[in-house]
Amino acid sequence: MIKLPAYIHFLQPGLMSSIQDLGRFGLAQFGVPYSGAMDRYAVAQVNFILRNPKDAAVLEMTGIGPEMVFESETRIVFAGAEVEALLNGKGIKYGQVIEIQPDDHLVVKKIKKGQWAYMGIQGGFESETIAGSKSWYGSITPRTKITKGDSVCYLSEENRFYPPVETKAKIRSDWFRNSKIQVYPGPEWELLPKLLHNRILNKSFTISDMINRMAYQLEEVIAHDMEPILTSPVYPGTIQLTPSGKLIVLMRDAQVTGGYPRILQVENASLNVLTQKRTGEKITFNIS
Amino acid sequence: MEIKFEYTHSKLIELSWPKSISPETLKQLIQVKKFLEHEYAEGIKEIRMGFHTLSLRLQLDIQKADCLELLDEINTLDFSDFEFQSDTWSIPVYYGAEFGKDLFKLSELLQLSEKEIITLHASKEYQLYFYGFLPGFMYLGGLDPKLHIPRKSNPERTVKPGSVAIGGSQTGIYPIESPGGWHVIGNCPISLFDIHQTPPVQPKIGDLIRFRSIDLQEYNDLKHLSKLGNYTWKHD
Repeated sequence: MIKLPAYIHFLQPGLMSSIQDLGRFGLAQFGVPYSGAMDRYAVAQVNFILRNPKDAAVLEMTGIGPEMVFESETRIVFAGAEVEALLNGKGIKYGQVIEIQPDDHLVVKKIKKGQWAYMGIQGGFESETIAGSKSWYGSITPRTKITKGDSVCYLSEENRFYPPVETKAKIRSDWFRNSKIQVYPGPEWELLPKLLHNRILNKSFTISDMINRMAYQLEEVIAHDMEPILTSPVYPGTIQLTPSGKLIVLMRDAQVTGGYPRILQVENASLNVLTQKRTGEKITFNIS
Repeated sequence: MEIKFEYTHSKLIELSWPKSISPETLKQLIQVKKFLEHEYAEGIKEIRMGFHTLSLRLQLDIQKADCLELLDEINTLDFSDFEFQSDTWSIPVYYGAEFGKDLFKLSELLQLSEKEIITLHASKEYQLYFYGFLPGFMYLGGLDPKLHIPRKSNPERTVKPGSVAIGGSQTGIYPIESPGGWHVIGNCPISLFDIHQTPPVQPKIGDLIRFRSIDLQEYNDLKHLSKLGNYTWKHD
């Protein structure tokens, strides 16, 4: 099979589109975040359907999606948040292989349901691998997000000899509607009085408009008199309690250390669900 | 020193020492980290450090009872098997003027002359506790108490790469552009983090850092050298 490099040219960048894989590991000891796709489950889905390696790089989009032209033939799949997208003016299907021909025009107009949408491509995107990962992160990779006129490489295959994956088992997006988030006690959980344990576990929290790849802040305030901690390790999924009583859930681009009490740690699968929550949506915490 | 453990889940635990920033605690953290990396290399995915904590992400599942056994093992450890050597690095800094835009204000706040601040800052040795906050950002202990100052109440949106700053009881260098709430007193002309090098940083945990006051000529020369990738890090 001959694979030829080809490019997607971005006519419009969208709000925050970037190339992500499963992340950059082993450099946290030097202060480098993991990065990687916000919703790892969606990445697993698109790469499974396309028979890609698990860590093949995908296009991540949020808010308003990008507009692009494909140079050469390939196949793509959408998963994660549901999008309204047009391929040469016609609507596309979620979770299904879409055949792409040279000069095809794709516009992802908006994200309809969920927060982060993913477009997988046959073989994965071929942007530069830096320290073991293709995930874009400012100061590590040359690009942080796609800008107007940008191009990203993929490998185009003319002949494909293998049959496509059976997609009768339709991929659905309702898995991230679950509002119950599974958590574990964080290192400072036991320093909180029992009363606040109950308050946090019985309360429903609202996703604020301060949400990005680094962290999601929640609206509600938990009044407390906890002291700040000496700077300690944090991870994606660590929930910090700020001095003002706001809860901050750290996400994929989070710093490797922090100075706020780490009250909870979100379970991995639940973190994927949480990334898909939008401003104004409600969640509750369920401790394991 | 009494070590405790916090159990988050079967693949994430934390060892913690009494809450303090001290060279003695740091020494034990480094030694226990060395021991774990030596004895349990396959079981551990990653060890992250804080001022008084070691966070362990595990490859294998661990139960609370296993943690107690691990603590026993650590408590009976002969630390002399895990000695380490601290190297001393000299880091050039151009203090004040347009590179240390908060120095003047700081001298008012601290009731010290700019020169006194520079002398105090450049006369101490600082120990590297760990990297965090930003890629290549060193958490340094040992700032003279005369220079302790609360952080800015309104953090700056952008602090220039190389900025040498003071905040709370700490001092540090911003390796890359970032928002920041510390008071900037100078700038370091050499690159502190290079993702294309292995490792991407030079000083290792436990090493000592000394700041050396340089003039504008040397600042420009070193900046040029560093840009070309021709600056060689050297320790004493």
